Amino acid sequence: MTFVPHTATALEISAAIRARKTTARAVTEALLTRIAATHERINAFTTVTTERALAEATAVDEALANGVHPGPLTGVPYAVKNLFDLEGVVTVAGSKINRLHPRATEDATAVARLKAAGAICLGALNMGEYAYDFVTENVHDGACRNPHDLTRSAGGSSGGSGAAVAAGLVPISLGTDTNGSIRVPSSFCGLFGLKPTYGRLGRGGSFPFVHSIDHIGPFARSVADLAAAYDAMQGFDPRDAACTTRAPDIASPSLDSPAPPLRIATLGGYFEKNASPQALSAVATIASALGTTARTELPEPALARAAGYTISACEGGQLHLERLRTHAADFDPNMRDRFLAGALAPAAWYVHAQRFRTWWREQVRGVFEHFDVLLAPATPVSATLLGQQMMTLNGVEMPVRPNLGLFTQPISLAGLPVVAVPLHRPGEMPIAVQLIGAPWSEPTLLRVARHLEKSGVCTAPVAAL
Amino acid sequence: MAASAFNDPAVVAEVTAQFNDYERALLANDVDALNGFFWDSPDAIRYGINEHLYGAAAIAEFRKNRVINFSDRTPLRTTVLAFGADTAVTMYEYTAKVFGQPRHGRQTQVWVRVPDVGWRIAAAHVSNTPPTPSWSGYVEQTAAAMKLPIDPSHRAGVAQNLERAAAIAAPLLAFPLPESLEPAGVFTP
Repeated sequence: MTFVPHTATALEISAAIRARKTTARAVTEALLTRIAATHERINAFTTVTTERALAEATAVDEALANGVHPGPLTGVPYAVKNLFDLEGVVTVAGSKINRLHPRATEDATAVARLKAAGAICLGALNMGEYAYDFVTENVHDGACRNPHDLTRSAGGSSGGSGAAVAAGLVPISLGTDTNGSIRVPSSFCGLFGLKPTYGRLGRGGSFPFVHSIDHIGPFARSVADLAAAYDAMQGFDPRDAACTTRAPDIASPSLDSPAPPLRIATLGGYFEKNASPQALSAVATIASALGTTARTELPEPALARAAGYTISACEGGQLHLERLRTHAADFDPNMRDRFLAGALAPAAWYVHAQRFRTWWREQVRGVFEHFDVLLAPATPVSATLLGQQMMTLNGVEMPVRPNLGLFTQPISLAGLPVVAVPLHRPGEMPIAVQLIGAPWSEPTLLRVARHLEKSGVCTAPVAAL
Repeated sequence: MAASAFNDPAVVAEVTAQFNDYERALLANDVDALNGFFWDSPDAIRYGINEHLYGAAAIAEFRKNRVINFSDRTPLRTTVLAFGADTAVTMYEYTAKVFGQPRHGRQTQVWVRVPDVGWRIAAAHVSNTPPTPSWSGYVEQTAAAMKLPIDPSHRAGVAQNLERAAAIAAPLLAFPLPESLEPAGVFTP
């Protein structure tokens, strides 16, 4: 089989390099060329770290020549949402204001771990300003376009992370997810995405949005790649106050082992009411492929969304208070007034929302006594058009931007792990379904995702460009 | 009081003319003219939006120190009730902007014919309906307290976002939680 760098999975690239069928340098150069050739159309990258990439690739090739295996992601190119620190690069977090910051002096924890596993960093990716976004129509860097339809959004806020993987620019990327910013681009770009349990992956060296709810996680076109990236990043991170001290729970080795019988249910009520027919059909397809007809509901998901919204507004507003005082005019106008409003919100709202979060966790734990995996759409619709302001859900016209996270926001408030699994159907834009698990059940979710991939239900092809 | 003495057209016309002159003086903030309309007596009373004034001197003092702009005051409905030849009540509804907010105002005046002087206001009461809920005042005050300058062109957008956030938070805040429930903070000492 011919080896094609831009359609190969991360593990295929790693295997080909280790088998000396190609070199890390050759793969890196091929993808750098593809990035340059498609940049005008996609606008996924904001910084291409050519020098770093070639140096890392050369080091990997030299290590292999000396009989040293750099790690499970040997020579695998990746890129990161531009809120992750990359040594020598200014961490802009999608903003104009942070361009004044000094260059990062060290890599983010996640980046350092991917590097230690042998991966090659190709650069930083476009995102919605300060991650307060679901569409990545960045006013400073330009809109990121969906590789499957250039007139459409790649989702957000990790839009560049989704677009880069869907366009075959890198097999793996990193994003962050507070209210859905990994799962929304996974859905819009038709990719596998993992939002781990809150606290599982260290966020050290990433520019925050909402400390209480921020997560980091990978995107990939194969479940094994997703698991490999996840595994490489696990482990305590002293730079992240919320990072768990639990021992890593490595998912890759058990991906293909026969799963013990799982209790899987489709979430009804709130998670169906505002879903488009395409989203409902996607969930039904997954449920049928998993052989389940069980249904359940989560109590008060709309309030959980309100709590996520409130905590995000308050913490985000406070995070940016000094910048709002001194640089209000330099914010993206779409974010500025929301951040300002959040900065002024009464403390009573915030504390009540945080207390609700405790209540919600107990309720959700109760549901997981009866089920192992819950199914829900990742987005109410597939990719919306760039510039689209309104959409109609359940007969009600509503603004696009705040409502793309309807189904993701309540889940991240509970800190639950989610694997987004994509469905591609001819003549339709892709859409993803959330496989939602109990806390710390990433290996189970990845095994279910792998099963759906093996049976051909879920695929994440590179877009035809 | 004889039935014929209620709303005698001549009396109504006299009081209506006085009322109209008073309104003109108010729109012009003609303080001297306004004070002249009140009964020059320690028994005169005026309740304003925020003040309770007893006696002509207190009313005059208040007017002197007040800066007003009633230029946008728009009449809605005026009623004059005359009881006999020497007593009347004017009831007046209007709209006016208070701190930029359109408000519905009510004004009641009790008029008496003072011998050898003419019609004077013996008692008055002015009130506004509460403002329509708006975040603009909150934005201004909280921003000032936080030393967060907000460009005037951004204020409406910020108020709008707070209003939206309030609408989203409302059902959450109405949801009863046990007092024992701690906020879900992350702090590991």
